[in-house]
Amino acid sequence: MWIGVLLALLGLALGALVGLNVPLVLPQAYAQYLGLGVLAALDSVFGGIRAAMENHYDNHIFITGFFSNILLAAGLAYIGTKLGVPLSTAAVVAFGVRLFQNLAIIRRHLLKK
Amino acid sequence: MNKTLYVSITLVSLVMGLMMALQFRTAGRVDSGVPYDRVQLLTTELKQLEKEYANLLIEASDLEEKVAKAEKGRPEASQAVFDELVKVRQLAGMTKLEGPGVEVNLAPIRREPEQGDNLFTVRDEDLLRVVNELRASGAEALAINGQRIISTSEIRLAGSFIDINLTRISPPYSVLAIGSADQLESGLLIKGGLVDTMRDWGVSVTVTKKPSLVIPAYNHRIHLEYAKPLKEAQ
Repeated sequence: MWIGVLLALLGLALGALVGLNVPLVLPQAYAQYLGLGVLAALDSVFGGIRAAMENHYDNHIFITGFFSNILLAAGLAYIGTKLGVPLSTAAVVAFGVRLFQNLAIIRRHLLKK
Repeated sequence: MNKTLYVSITLVSLVMGLMMALQFRTAGRVDSGVPYDRVQLLTTELKQLEKEYANLLIEASDLEEKVAKAEKGRPEASQAVFDELVKVRQLAGMTKLEGPGVEVNLAPIRREPEQGDNLFTVRDEDLLRVVNELRASGAEALAINGQRIISTSEIRLAGSFIDINLTRISPPYSVLAIGSADQLESGLLIKGGLVDTMRDWGVSVTVTKKPSLVIPAYNHRIHLEYAKPLKEAQ
């Protein structure tokens, strides 16, 4: 359990280090898609933590959900922009609501302990 | 099982951190950077400027071509100026000239004076008349005893000698004229003309046609002190 948390923190720090130091910067037009991707990733991570606390965590579901959520969020927002429909708003609302729900459940689990 | 779990957690957190850091940097740039509309505006401006630049490049190459042409034309222009200068120098009498013409020799007749003879010598007026007649017959260059006759030349008696270009000359007088030899000769030898008259006065005049004679250049200083060209007359 604690090894997993440690590894997660280590990976986070490493990724942040690399991300802050790579010379390439994303073009501004794509910033909103990356933002949505980050939102989706956060949602997946909190979903994973909640599942782990409810003891029905599945590694495959977590991994596939993580990456497919990122790609779907960014891709749908991109398609929405191309079609003139603000799908990014829908993604933000959906992921935001789930994020807060997951956070609330995690908080309750933590308090129950 | 545990191993894949840790690997996947590490991978996920790595991607998570990377994305967040990138997004953080991009978002930070948004605040300090230019807004999206501005980018579009600047892009259109850039396109316009690029078009303008291309046009200016075309114009520049056009002008360069013109300059090259002008450069090429310059030797021709200077050659024209040089030719003009040569012509003007010839007209002004600053160059030695060569060409067909006549030589007129004037000398007082040397013989024993008889009763009733006119004791004429060759006077300045005789030379002036000869020069005048030659000019009327189309003489292009004139010289008397090596003195070139130009527009400011004088022919006048000074004491018992004749001065031309302020230079004393002495008999026998030889007048050289370049021009159509036939015209010059006939102008002088016309019946009742100048040569007849002068012969009557007792001057020996011989006119010889020459296929080629050389007339010296004017070798004095020309200094126009009072005459100035008018600006509007140019």
